[in-house]
Amino acid sequence: MLPEYKTSVKKVDNEEKMSGKALFTDDIQMDGVLSAVTVRSKISKGKILNIKLPTLPEGYYFISAKDIVKENVCNIIFSDWPVFADKEINYKGESIGLIVGEDKKICLDLVDQVVIEYEEKEPVFDMKNSAIHKDFEKGDKSVLNDPNLESYTEKFQTGYQEQVYLETQGMLVYLDGDKITVKASMQCPFYIHKAICRTLGYPEDKVRVIQPAVGGAFGGKEHYPSLMGAQLATALVKIKKPIKMVFDRKEDISFTTKRHPSETTISALIDKKGKIRALDIHVSLDAGAYIGCSGVVLSRALIAATNTYKFDYVHISGDAYITNKIPSAAFRGFGSPQSIFAIEMFLAHVAKKFRYPGVLYKNQYLVETGDTTSTNGKFRDKIILKELIVKAKEMSDYDRKEKEYSKPNSYRGIGMSYFLHGCGFTGSGESDLIKAKLIIRKDKNDIVTFYTSQVDFGQGNRTTLKRIVVDTLGIPEDHVIYDAPDTDKTLSTGPTAASRTIIIVGGLAAKAAQHLKDIWVSGKEQEIIEPYVGPDYIHWDEATMQGDAYPGYAWGVNVVEVSFDPITYEVHVEETWSVYDVGHAIDERILVGQADGGILQGLGYGYLEVEEMANGEFRQKTMSDYIVPTSMDAPKMHTAFIDNPFKYGAFGAKGAGELTFVGGAPAVCIAIEQAIKEKIYKIPANPEYLMEILEK
Amino acid sequence: MNSYIPTSLEEALKILFEHDCYILAGGTDLMVQNHRSSGLLPTFKKDVLFTSQIEGLDYIKVINNELHIGANTKYISMIESKFVPTMLKNVFVEIASPSIRNMATLTGNINNASPAADGTVPLILLDARLVLQSKDNKREISVDDYLIGFKKTDRKPNEMVTEIIVPLTDHKYLWRKVGSRKAESISKVTFLGAYKTSNNKISDFRIALGCVSIKPVRSKQVESKYIGLTIDELKNKKDEIVNDYNQLIEPVTDQRSNKEYKRKVAINLLKSFIDSIK
Repeated sequence: MLPEYKTSVKKVDNEEKMSGKALFTDDIQMDGVLSAVTVRSKISKGKILNIKLPTLPEGYYFISAKDIVKENVCNIIFSDWPVFADKEINYKGESIGLIVGEDKKICLDLVDQVVIEYEEKEPVFDMKNSAIHKDFEKGDKSVLNDPNLESYTEKFQTGYQEQVYLETQGMLVYLDGDKITVKASMQCPFYIHKAICRTLGYPEDKVRVIQPAVGGAFGGKEHYPSLMGAQLATALVKIKKPIKMVFDRKEDISFTTKRHPSETTISALIDKKGKIRALDIHVSLDAGAYIGCSGVVLSRALIAATNTYKFDYVHISGDAYITNKIPSAAFRGFGSPQSIFAIEMFLAHVAKKFRYPGVLYKNQYLVETGDTTSTNGKFRDKIILKELIVKAKEMSDYDRKEKEYSKPNSYRGIGMSYFLHGCGFTGSGESDLIKAKLIIRKDKNDIVTFYTSQVDFGQGNRTTLKRIVVDTLGIPEDHVIYDAPDTDKTLSTGPTAASRTIIIVGGLAAKAAQHLKDIWVSGKEQEIIEPYVGPDYIHWDEATMQGDAYPGYAWGVNVVEVSFDPITYEVHVEETWSVYDVGHAIDERILVGQADGGILQGLGYGYLEVEEMANGEFRQKTMSDYIVPTSMDAPKMHTAFIDNPFKYGAFGAKGAGELTFVGGAPAVCIAIEQAIKEKIYKIPANPEYLMEILEK
Repeated sequence: MNSYIPTSLEEALKILFEHDCYILAGGTDLMVQNHRSSGLLPTFKKDVLFTSQIEGLDYIKVINNELHIGANTKYISMIESKFVPTMLKNVFVEIASPSIRNMATLTGNINNASPAADGTVPLILLDARLVLQSKDNKREISVDDYLIGFKKTDRKPNEMVTEIIVPLTDHKYLWRKVGSRKAESISKVTFLGAYKTSNNKISDFRIALGCVSIKPVRSKQVESKYIGLTIDELKNKKDEIVNDYNQLIEPVTDQRSNKEYKRKVAINLLKSFIDSIK
């Protein structure tokens, strides 16, 4: 039975954050704590011949590859990123070592005085060295031989994107007895834990990771903290004093991981009536210097490449390329924003070619309940996309506006994107890789405590996960204790990523709480360890990219209205309307927070946020040069949810974190196309690019 | 590095006579430019003189149809002042953010001498002047002459700007700041055009363009060619005017935009200004 949630609750962390009591990593004070500053490579590719250190004052240390305790590798999905560059340099800014000492200012001065001799080699900045290739097809291939079909090809590009979490990356490490203890700004406590154990060769019980307050992440704190953890733990083993490393904004923008830039080529075979009979999609991702998580990002990009549509035949392939640039990694959407942008623009362009107005053309390809997915899995759960579309059209007065703005020199446009997001880890990752286990226990006073490894970095999951347990048990809120993750207390329920927190961990928490309720004996200490059991229909073959890629899908429609200034080529986003199917909304206000923030970040990705790479270095390194939308740029936003409970989620909930990001960029670009009556092939569609299109 | 916090102008000028100092008013440029890393104080390479406690430098008054602005006057005071003309206020309200406008001064904006400064564009258009004082001297110089290059001014180390004088006019004008977003935005192009008419003739015609050269671009020589024409004659010379300014501006590509965009938008704004004249 689903509880009714007409009202939203106060977030459990409101008071501590509004009052300033919450302690973020840099707020944590410790006696005798040392600072660490990174020595970074100044070249993009080459060999280190010699490192000449300045004379280090007493109490100052240089930690580098020679200090590695066991293995010089940072544990990320594909572990090719060294903790410290040893001989080879693969990107500009790569960590060569740390200067550690009491005074951060002296550490910075010492870093400036380190002289490194290199043997420089020719760096590769273009996508030409493929490290990972994936390829799969679906449907009846015989259509390829039909001589009556016309071929139509387009290419799309997307740029870097910076996460711009409010709190920069930071970490504090210290010894508690002989135990390495870590407090950091993070998303995934057990990723850091594993990375430290691996580089030191330590058993699990010799490392402890505790989460303090975290100010935003967006995927940017999924993998990079593992590198910082491995580096600082190495230093701690040698120095044995507390060490803190907190990045300044400029260092954070310059050297931490970004969204993968992409190039997607789509070719269609189209019949005389304009119907696509076959589709070939190739997605290229720029992985940067190390593979890390890029293979998984590529998988998601490819699985999402046909978005919410079905075609008679599709061939999907992609490559992740190694280049001598800052490694790309996780960012809200994880590959799907790139490929969904491409297919949405492609279908809008084919519609124009055959003179279909608005979304009429793409509506003929919508997937329905029971259809196969791009990987020959099955959309088992009820799809209500058509209801979302009807609602979004109605809210935005889409049909009237679409017609009106299509007139010449309207300088106004309306765009509509459809999108889905597979919730949880790809394929059988939840059951085979993560294997989440959740502890819930009750003391003799009937006070219930439960533990997850989910980080609340502002998105509100501490509130929602607690609510799931409170409501399942039907006991007062103050009888349930749910604190931030601590690897000494919790078993891993997996990373805070992949829109899995509510659908997977929430479902697990509800199940554990229900089991506790079933065996509840008042006044008795009781404990349940609940393992994750995935839906038994999930079968996935990563090698062939065939099967059910995700346990469930969340769906969305964004409508964006823009005006355009033909004198300055500036776009003003006037208003947005969004309708989502995230299963059942547990707390609508928290969801609206995700929805408003998600679409604004997606709009920024689509028309505003420029991060250019020149000679292996970002050109925009500060908040005044890397332009994110301010509240003045935020349009009026309207958001609605249509209830469609999901059997396996907590109280019917699916994922919402990434979904709300995905549709902003294509919707705003389709709207801009209508305003300027020209086609867009790349994002961000900033004024400089729009001028280039209009003045060509 | 020493900090000086004088409370009188006399004391400040004495310090400047004896020490080479950064002069810090609101600090919104200097604190950022000398920022070292999070958790550390800024690192200044020479002594710093703080102007905030100097008495008698925070005022706005009108004398003989000229606006006199004390060097310590913050943007917010000018925006809220009844003496400051709308043209200036329209420029000032688009600078940075409320928190910056609560701290920053126009004097600081002039002395930072950035090609992307917004505040200097109307000053140059309005023939504004600065009063500079040193221990033994006091002089006046036009803002246009004071700005001598990229981040360079005519200030001598022992001098400080004590007042900005802006002649008050009743020009009709068009101001546009083109930034990369709607607030907290460093400009890509700024345009200020102003004119006066009498008996259907152009009696005054002024153009100032920001971000398209090492300092705001204004040419009295070019302007004088068009003063005295009828409105229609002026509009018929649109191509010639465009050509004149196309030669005067020299935008460069930077991390915020490119030179092609800056040139094109500057010229588009010039054209729309000419079209708006009536």
